[in-house]
Amino acid sequence: MDHGPGKILSLKGLTKWYGEKLVLDDIDLDVYEGQIIGYIGPNGAGKSTTVKIMLGLEASYSGEVEIFGQNIKESGVAYKKRIGYVPESADLYDNLTAREYLTFTGELYGLTADSADYKARLLMGVFNLEDVYDSRISSYSKGMKQKVLLISSLLHDPDILFLDEPINGLDANSVMVFKEILAQLSSQGKTIFYSSHIMEVVQKISSRILLLNDGKIVADGSFEQLRQKNKEGSLEEIFNQLTGFNEHQNLAEDFVQIVQRDHR
Amino acid sequence: MKNFTTLKILDLFRVIFERFEIDYPTMRRILQVKLTMDGRRPTTIMSQNRGGEKKQDSNQFLKSLWFYAFIGLTLIPILFIGDNFMFKMSLIFGVLMFLIMTAMISDFSSVLLDVRDQTVIGTRPVDHRTISAARAIHVTVYLFFLTAAIVSVPLVVGFVQFGVIFALLFSVTVLFSDLFIVAITALLYYVILKFFGGERLRDVINYVQIGLSFTIVIGYQVLARAFEFQGLQSSFEAAWWNVLLPPVWFGAPFAVILNGASGAYYYVFMALALLVPLIALWIYLSLLPTFEKNLLKLMDQAGPSKKKTTKGMNRLASLLTTSKEEHAFYQFAERMLKNERDLKLKIYPSLGFAIIFPFVFLYNGYSAGGSLDSITSGRMYLTIYASMMMIPGIVIMLQYSSKSKGSWIYHVTPLQGEGVIIKGTLKAFLIRLFAPVFGVISILYGILFGMRIIPDLVIVLLIAVIYSVICFRMLKGKLPFSQPFESAGQSDGWKTIPFALLIPVFGGLHFVVTNVPFGIWFYLALLLFIVPLTWQRGLR
Repeated sequence: MDHGPGKILSLKGLTKWYGEKLVLDDIDLDVYEGQIIGYIGPNGAGKSTTVKIMLGLEASYSGEVEIFGQNIKESGVAYKKRIGYVPESADLYDNLTAREYLTFTGELYGLTADSADYKARLLMGVFNLEDVYDSRISSYSKGMKQKVLLISSLLHDPDILFLDEPINGLDANSVMVFKEILAQLSSQGKTIFYSSHIMEVVQKISSRILLLNDGKIVADGSFEQLRQKNKEGSLEEIFNQLTGFNEHQNLAEDFVQIVQRDHR
Repeated sequence: MKNFTTLKILDLFRVIFERFEIDYPTMRRILQVKLTMDGRRPTTIMSQNRGGEKKQDSNQFLKSLWFYAFIGLTLIPILFIGDNFMFKMSLIFGVLMFLIMTAMISDFSSVLLDVRDQTVIGTRPVDHRTISAARAIHVTVYLFFLTAAIVSVPLVVGFVQFGVIFALLFSVTVLFSDLFIVAITALLYYVILKFFGGERLRDVINYVQIGLSFTIVIGYQVLARAFEFQGLQSSFEAAWWNVLLPPVWFGAPFAVILNGASGAYYYVFMALALLVPLIALWIYLSLLPTFEKNLLKLMDQAGPSKKKTTKGMNRLASLLTTSKEEHAFYQFAERMLKNERDLKLKIYPSLGFAIIFPFVFLYNGYSAGGSLDSITSGRMYLTIYASMMMIPGIVIMLQYSSKSKGSWIYHVTPLQGEGVIIKGTLKAFLIRLFAPVFGVISILYGILFGMRIIPDLVIVLLIAVIYSVICFRMLKGKLPFSQPFESAGQSDGWKTIPFALLIPVFGGLHFVVTNVPFGIWFYLALLLFIVPLTWQRGLR
C-alpha cells in the first residue's frame, strides 16, 4: 500500500478485556500521515474501545499504543494536544454558549482565550452559525450541536482526528463542506480516523478501510483492494460478507410477517 | 464568562497547587466553566418556584443559599436549650449534618457524577491530577458556601453568648463534620456503583431529593411546634449506642471543654469525631481510581432489564378501563408516574403531606381540649378530607413532563377523542397515588374510630373520585405529560386554590348529612349514582 513517509500511530498486540469479554484481540496496526481511515465494523466490534484507548480514556489494556512515536503510557498527556476528537454521543456542556464552550476547549488545547474565541467565531460563521454564537448550546438543533463538536475538534489544528459518526444530523450541504475539509486536511498530511455505519460515505472518502469484527481486523486496504479480494460491488456488500451476515432477506421477511400477523 | 471572586481567592493559593504539580491555569479554567454551569442549574430547593421568566445567569445556586441561611436560623433556639452542651450541640449537628448531606446528594450529585467530563475534558491534554484537583476544589467550594450559609448566623450568636472558645470549637468541629459527610457520601456512591448500575444510583438520588423537599416543609411544622415544649429535657446520659450517632461525636468536645465533662465515653466520642473523618477521607482517596472507573457505568446503557409487572396490577388495569385505548393510557400514565424522576420529585412530597395533614388536624382538635374518648366517639374522622388537599396540586402537575416533546404521539395516533387519554391517566393517578395514601389513613382511622366509619370512608372515596374529575378541568384541555416543566409557573399554585376551597364544602356537606338519620346511606346511594355520570359527562 502506498503511503506517506511518516508513521504516526502504531498498535502492537493491543488486547482489551471487559470482565470476561474479549473486546480487542491482539490488534496490530500501523497508520501513516495523510491517510483517511474508514474504521468500520458491526455494533460492539470494538471500534469505540480502540479510539478510547488511543485517547487515554481507558488505561487497562495490554499491548502497546504508540502515537507520534511515543508510547502513550509513558509520554504523559502532551500528545493529546495534536489530537482532535468528535464523540459519537454528542456529549458537551450544553448549558454553556458556543463561545464559552469553544473558548474553553480551545484553551484546554493550549490556545489563548482570545485566539480560540477569534477562530471559533470565524468557523461558526463558515457554518452560518454566527447568530447563535452567544446562545446556549442546549437550544441548538442536532445538526448545530454537531457543528460545534466539529469546530471544537479542529480549532487547535490537530494532526490526528478521531471522528465517530461526525456527520450525524448534518444536512447534505454541510456534509459536502465537511467532506471537502477532510480531503484538504489529508492532502496536508493530517491523519483521520473516520468511524461510521454509513458505508457509502466511508467508501467514498476513505483512502484505507479497516474492518473490525469480534475484536479482530478482518479487512485492511483501499476500497479497490477490498473489492478485488472479495468480488463484491459495494462496501456494504463487502461488509455483509466479511461479518458473515447473509440473512437480511430472511429477517426482513420475518419482520414483515410479524407486522401483518393478526393477533385477535 | 464571569471571573468569580471565588477564583480570585483561589489565586492566592496558586503556589500550593503548583507544588503538587497541578496545572493551575487549566484547573482554574475548568472551575470557571463549572461555576458558570452551576449558576445555570436549578437546585432542588429552588425548583419549587422555578418561574417562567428566565433571567440571564441569575445564579440559582447563590439564591438557594439564602434559603439555607434561613433554615440555619432555626438552629439558634437550640443553642438556648438548657446548659448541657452535649445535648444541644448533638442536636445542632444532627440537623446540620442532615441538611448538608441531603443538599450534597440532591444538588451536587449531578456535578460529582457528570460523565461528560470524560469526553469533554478527559480527551484533551489535561492530566489526571488536574482533573481530580478541579473536582475536589469544586466540591470544597460548594460545601464551603453551603456550610457558611447555614452556620454563620448561629456561629455569631454562639460567639456573643458563649465566647471565643465556643466559636473556635464550633468552626473546627463543623469542618470535621463536613469532611465526614463528603467522604461518607462518596463512599455511599462507591458502594452503590459497585454493586448496582447507574440507574439505581439515580433512583437513590431521586429519593433523597424527594425526602429533602418533604423534610423541609414538615421540618417547619415540627420545629414550630417543638418550641412549644419549652421545658424540654436537656440532660444527657452517655450510652454505648451513642457511638452509632455521628452528631453525638461532634457534641462531645463542647461538653468536655465547656461543661468540663469527663469520662471514657466522652473521650471515645472525641476520638471518633477526630479520627473517623480522616480515616473515611483516606479510604475515599485510596478508592478514587476504582471509583472513577465505576463512574463509567453511568454511561452504560442498562443491561437486559427484568420485566416486573405483577399480574394483579395488570388485571386491575383491564378491570378498571373500558376500552383498549383507555387501557393503554392507564398503563402509560402508571409508568410515567413510576419512572419519571422529575415528576416524582414534584409529586411525591405532596403524597407525604396528604398522609400527615389529617393527623395534624386531628392533633389540633385533640390539643384544643377534649379527651381521646370524646374524639374517637365524635366525628373528627372527617379530618380525612384533608388528605384530598393533594389532589389539585398533583393533578396540575400531571400535564408536565421532562420529556414533554414525546407528546407528538397523541397527535399522530388515530384517537377518537381526548377523553380516553384523560380517563386513563386519571384512573392511574387514583389507583397509583391516591389509593395507597387513602388506604393507609383509612386503616389508621378505622383502628382509631372503629368499624362504624366504614360507610363514611366509602363516601370520602367516592367524593375523591368526583373531585379528581373536577380538578382535571383545571388543565383546560392540556394533555397529560405534554408540557415542559419550564412552563410551570407561580400561577399554577394560585389556580389550585379555588379547587382546594371545595374540600371544606364537601366536608361540611358530609357533616350535615351525618346529622340526618340514615342520611349517610342516602348520600352514599346518591354518590354511587353521580360518580358514573361525572366520569361520562365531565371528561369529554
